[in-house]
Amino acid sequence: MDGEALVQAVIGLGLGAEKREKADRPAVRVPADKLATAMKRLREDEALAFDMLLDHTAIDWLAAGTFELVYNLYSTVHGHYLMVAATVPRARPVVPTVSGLWDAAHWQEREVFDLFGVEYDGHPDLRRLFLEDDWQGFPLRKDYTDEDMLRLPK
Amino acid sequence: MGLMTDRLPGLVERIPGGQILVTSIDAVLNWSRSNSLWPLAFGTKCCAIEMLMATGAAHQDLSRFGAEVARQSPRQADMMVVAGAIVKKMAPRMRMLYEQMAEPRYVIATGSCAISGGPFMYNSYSIVRGVDEVVPVDVYVPGCPPRPEAFFWGLMMLQKMIKQGESIARPGLRRKPVLAALPQGIAMEDIREEIRGLLEADNVIDVEKEAHNKVWADKVKVWMAKHLYKP
Repeated sequence: MDGEALVQAVIGLGLGAEKREKADRPAVRVPADKLATAMKRLREDEALAFDMLLDHTAIDWLAAGTFELVYNLYSTVHGHYLMVAATVPRARPVVPTVSGLWDAAHWQEREVFDLFGVEYDGHPDLRRLFLEDDWQGFPLRKDYTDEDMLRLPK
Repeated sequence: MGLMTDRLPGLVERIPGGQILVTSIDAVLNWSRSNSLWPLAFGTKCCAIEMLMATGAAHQDLSRFGAEVARQSPRQADMMVVAGAIVKKMAPRMRMLYEQMAEPRYVIATGSCAISGGPFMYNSYSIVRGVDEVVPVDVYVPGCPPRPEAFFWGLMMLQKMIKQGESIARPGLRRKPVLAALPQGIAMEDIREEIRGLLEADNVIDVEKEAHNKVWADKVKVWMAKHLYKP
């Protein structure tokens, strides 16, 4: 399946997915409340069979007031890639976990929680991963600051 | 060697007026210290590829300086090459490694990150802006990363510091830290020549000249006449 056909196939599943522009691989955007269902379909659909979560990260769109959660999927069966993006509000960043579908998501979600403060509903062990347990704040948020940080002079 | 330094003043004091012995031991100790600087195998970032791996390999050959025996244990290391950025989480661990090294211990900070935080200086939540906030540094080697030649230049600077520095009479005396920037136009050949010169100055004795140089012998005679010879 080539990129455009893959995107159309995902949109055709009827999960409210739409094409995400500005991506270097086939990319779709799904609503956050349908993320769990969509991921389950992508994993279990035989024509898609995304059995590998390559990477999960987040983008802080400070001006828009949202986090964009990015999942990069790969299918070892068909050899195709897909990027799935979901947008959650910065004020209350809660999404369902996908760690039940891919074991790799356990640590990936802990990392995103550690650095962005996105909370994963249903994650079995949501603790800080890289930073100390008593760290305050989430340093990859664009508005993060602490008293030790040196600001770039304007 | 740290143990020897601690005990030697006591040993020397038993010989009355042992200045001659003390100066010789200083020179020998500093000579052996400067030529057997065993580095701690400790690299935190890309500088470690240059500082500990490229320089340790055959082409640059760190062993010409007697510094090729990278130790895995800080107890056996004399020199810590801070190759790369230190983050806040690493800083206490690095301080602990430094504390575990036996005296005398030396620190070379290589590269922008170790010197000042480098490109991560601003807007970073994790960087330690210069390892001298955590441990005392003897030699700074600037570069991003420094070439192996520049690192050798810094290592030679450290060797010179050691040779001129600590003495038994004043243990723990250190020279101020230096910035060992490699001057323009210095190539590997020049460093090779400088090493040869240093080694010759250290190890070659002009026997004939020394035989005629009776200054020390005269001093011994004077001392003997003053202290021992009672007619």
